[in-house]
Amino acid sequence: MIVGFGHITYGQTYNNFETDSVTASQPFKPSKTQFMIRGYGHTGLNFMNTEGEKESSYVGSAFAPIFLFKHSDRLMFEAELEFGLEDNELEVGLEYADVMYILNKNMTVRAGKFLLPFGTFMERLHPAWINRLPTTPLGYGHDGIAPSSGIGVELRGAFDLGGPKLNYAVYSTNGPRLKDGSLEPEEAGMLMFQNFEDNNTSKAFGGRIGLLPFADSSTEIGFSTYSTSKVGTTDSEYENTGAFLYAFDFAFIKQIPAIGGFIDIKGQYNNSDIDDATYIEIEDDIEEEYTFDNKSDSFYAQLSYRPTMASNDFLKKLELVGRYSNLNTPEGAEWEEQSDQYAFGLNYWLTWRSVIKVAYQTTDSVGGHDGGGTANGFFMHWAIGF
Amino acid sequence: MKTIHKIFTVAILLFISGGTIVGCSSTKNNYTAATDVQEEFKMEKSGAQMWGEACNRCHLAPSPADYNDTDWSTISLHMRVRANLAENEIAKIETFLKSAN
Ligand code: HEC
Repeated sequence: MIVGFGHITYGQTYNNFETDSVTASQPFKPSKTQFMIRGYGHTGLNFMNTEGEKESSYVGSAFAPIFLFKHSDRLMFEAELEFGLEDNELEVGLEYADVMYILNKNMTVRAGKFLLPFGTFMERLHPAWINRLPTTPLGYGHDGIAPSSGIGVELRGAFDLGGPKLNYAVYSTNGPRLKDGSLEPEEAGMLMFQNFEDNNTSKAFGGRIGLLPFADSSTEIGFSTYSTSKVGTTDSEYENTGAFLYAFDFAFIKQIPAIGGFIDIKGQYNNSDIDDATYIEIEDDIEEEYTFDNKSDSFYAQLSYRPTMASNDFLKKLELVGRYSNLNTPEGAEWEEQSDQYAFGLNYWLTWRSVIKVAYQTTDSVGGHDGGGTANGFFMHWAIGF
Repeated sequence: MKTIHKIFTVAILLFISGGTIVGCSSTKNNYTAATDVQEEFKMEKSGAQMWGEACNRCHLAPSPADYNDTDWSTISLHMRVRANLAENEIAKIETFLKSAN
């Protein structure tokens, strides 16, 4: 009897440890709760030449720790802090902080501040160790026309269609605020996507649907929307101004033996349409009303190649990348701009998440903050994920 | 714009609430879906192959040796949600990663 029980007890203990690779012989039980700190950082040197005006600076020193708390096989919390040095100051941001729960095989609910699945660039490709170039395409980030994160709830999931796969996400967030120009007249009519406390009762709704038509997951096409009926502050003149945004995204990644390596193509088109409204311009102390057709769009396409099948170890770790991007903001707005940008880079992958990037970028613009012209940049960056 | 928004809002609200209700109630469904049967007869792809395909889509794929089993469980859950991967896909990849580290 004792022998029998002893055997069972021993057997159970042993079984428990079979899934734990840390140590199989130490007599402690593995914890169900798991905690991981990870994140990424990057630093580098930029040379800029804007219409003959030269600048050079060591930049970045960005540090973004990520905290992952896994409570069970279904429940998890994720948060990312972002530390950066900008305009001679330390900037701290809460990139995301959300809790997620797996409802079933095809559904997960998330709540909190999360990266928005509006296209793929912001949600999946922007971290410095993932982005193949040291810069972001036109239309994202500061003064961007596409939203990057929001506070709200989301339902997402994926279906295996027996080879092809389909994934979806739908969400509701506080939505953007309209910059009415009272603080920054030159930005009147822009959307400010940071809206920690909603300025009105109307929420933004959005979603993305992605299809991977082939069994090898090489290709994905996605369509996203983001819509809100009110972006202005309640009881203000802009209360009933609405906005509708959509995006298309495309990705193709495959190792092709005929060319000896990985081809990676990514692209996204964003379109923003905000209801027309009247803004005020002050010129020589005279207030003047003006309005414009508040439509913007932006696009980028990126192609990269890694000769992973080369016999030379150095060559294997190299990557060539080229990107075109374009931004058009409304004609008649103070922030009217038409820009075209080309970027070319050569990367060296030290590991799967540590890369040295050398890139050249040239941007031609008409209008915009600096009045337009040509800006050329040369960048040397080192990004590392950990 | 207003009508687009209204239709859109209602559609998404229905989807979220409907989805959540279905999601909460059908955690333990015991019927066999057609796709499950299909799955059995389909040529099974290995976890290793799926890892090579799926984990290279956004960043370079990490090698199984990069993390221990505990970390792989956390990462698999994180990637399942962030990359919106299908459940059977991530389950197979996770098994492969844990067996090959
Ligand atoms: C759809 C894009 C996408 C796919 C596909 C993807 N990842 Fe990721 N992965 C990311 C992003 C984005 C991050 C960075 C998360 C962050 O910084 O918030 C990341 C981070 C990671 C990290 C760092 C630790 C962590 O959890 O953040 C690991 C490890 C990782 N991925 C492994 C994998 C594996 C294994 C697969 C294949 C199952 C995979 N990834 C597929 C987008 C993707």
